[in-house]
Amino acid sequence: MSRYLRLLRIFTGATLSAQLEYRANFVGALLASLGEVGVALLGLGIVFGQPGISSVGGWSFREALLVTGFFMLTEGVISVFIQPNMSKIADAIRTGSMDFTLLKPIDAQFGVSTRHLNVLRAPDLLIGLGLIAYAASGLSVTPGGVLGAALLYVSAVVIVYCIWLALSTTAFWFVKTQNVAELFNGVFGAARFPVSAFPLPVRAFLTFVVPVAFITTVPAQAMTGELAWGAALASPVVAAALFVVTRLFWLRAVGSYTSASS
Amino acid sequence: MSRLNTARVLFATRFAEMAEYRAEVVIWMLSGTLSLVMMLVWMAQAQAAPGGQIRGYDAAGFATYFLSTWLVSQLLVVWVAWELDFEIRQGTLSAKLLRPLDPMWTHYASHVAERLVRLVPMLVLVTAFALLSGARFTTEWWAYPAALGLAALGFTARFLYEYAIGLLAFWTESSTSFQELAWLVYAALGGMFAPLDFYPAWVQAVAVWTPFPYMLGLPAQLLAGKAGPEDALRGALVMLGWLVVFWFLRLAVWRAGLKKYGAVGA
Repeated sequence: MSRYLRLLRIFTGATLSAQLEYRANFVGALLASLGEVGVALLGLGIVFGQPGISSVGGWSFREALLVTGFFMLTEGVISVFIQPNMSKIADAIRTGSMDFTLLKPIDAQFGVSTRHLNVLRAPDLLIGLGLIAYAASGLSVTPGGVLGAALLYVSAVVIVYCIWLALSTTAFWFVKTQNVAELFNGVFGAARFPVSAFPLPVRAFLTFVVPVAFITTVPAQAMTGELAWGAALASPVVAAALFVVTRLFWLRAVGSYTSASS
Repeated sequence: MSRLNTARVLFATRFAEMAEYRAEVVIWMLSGTLSLVMMLVWMAQAQAAPGGQIRGYDAAGFATYFLSTWLVSQLLVVWVAWELDFEIRQGTLSAKLLRPLDPMWTHYASHVAERLVRLVPMLVLVTAFALLSGARFTTEWWAYPAALGLAALGFTARFLYEYAIGLLAFWTESSTSFQELAWLVYAALGGMFAPLDFYPAWVQAVAVWTPFPYMLGLPAQLLAGKAGPEDALRGALVMLGWLVVFWFLRLAVWRAGLKKYGAVGA
């Protein structure tokens, strides 16, 4: 365990020093972050800007903004921690450099999941937290609600990670799947809004098929104190189940890996 | 005659290349879901509203508008800024400069060829979405060629300004971020979040001076049966004006950039 913690520190240091070489890119990354939050806020702003609309799916503006905050935070988590690693899996398989990862005396899944960071997109995390804080300041939020939201958000991150890993792992068989994660982004776009803002069949899809509801709506509900116990329990259960399934899937994929030249 | 031959060969080779990427094309199509997400939100809002309508749109009306937007936006997809960013940074542009043809035409042929690959899955998806959501497209036959023509003008305009943005890679590493911001303006003023008349009056006043409502929102309204032939004609004239502007803009940035360009390692 302590060896893995030490490795995490080394990986972080290496990836940080590599990225700080290209400081000018920060301006570009900041523009991209602003574009991202612009899309999220415009969508919400136009809906609430119509005369006579004071709630979306039973959520007031502040409450819906809370969901948008969790959406931006998750965009940040994906851009900073998940995407930089997962996008390299397909390439490593195509070029055969996955060999080096598999030969190292550490768990390969740990290796491919933690080696890289994209600190340039860290503003997304701050924007997300800022939006959550601003939205919560106008609502009555209890410390228990914040704690519950934080815990449920951990399961949310695990769910996001598992979906990305599962999609990226398909590259072991199909090789050309650099873009497959885009499919998740397409569905994840719906997480800008609370799930109750969607028609009923879509709501079911976002809860049971692609569990997007657990990523932004459920933590926001925990914060406003409107979360049912069932959903609060379901989130960690779904996260744990997904983690086990993707772990098995990953092991199966690595077992069938034959390197690039063979 | 030889020009025609060049165009034919260029298009045939680009089509062969794009057909290789057909699985990716479908993935790209499904990843741009903003108008579909907004469609579902507005449909649920309309159903919950008193009278079942918001500003004259009922649930089926929203479905029609946003599916039309989705369809048109599929025809307006441009990714040339990413390719230029790569070519300029990696220096692979150098080899293309040796050809007696502006590299722009190769990219343009790629984009047009990709539309053909996109066509069949696009029609299948839009039919499925329309059946699921209850969208009803117009029965006026002239609206379809008119919308297609506007989309073709809009695509060419978008290609030219995205090309100019991509060429900023001669000066900065962040040209693709500018591209993302340009996309936001295009999506907002084009009407991907809501029909343009849902926006505050001052935004509408600004929007009519930009090309975006005519390339995305107008063809979508034509398909939905909410715009007439005179709107289409006016939109086409505005788009032609913008095409001239973007043509010279692109040319100016290209000439200035080439002076700045000293390929990697040179």
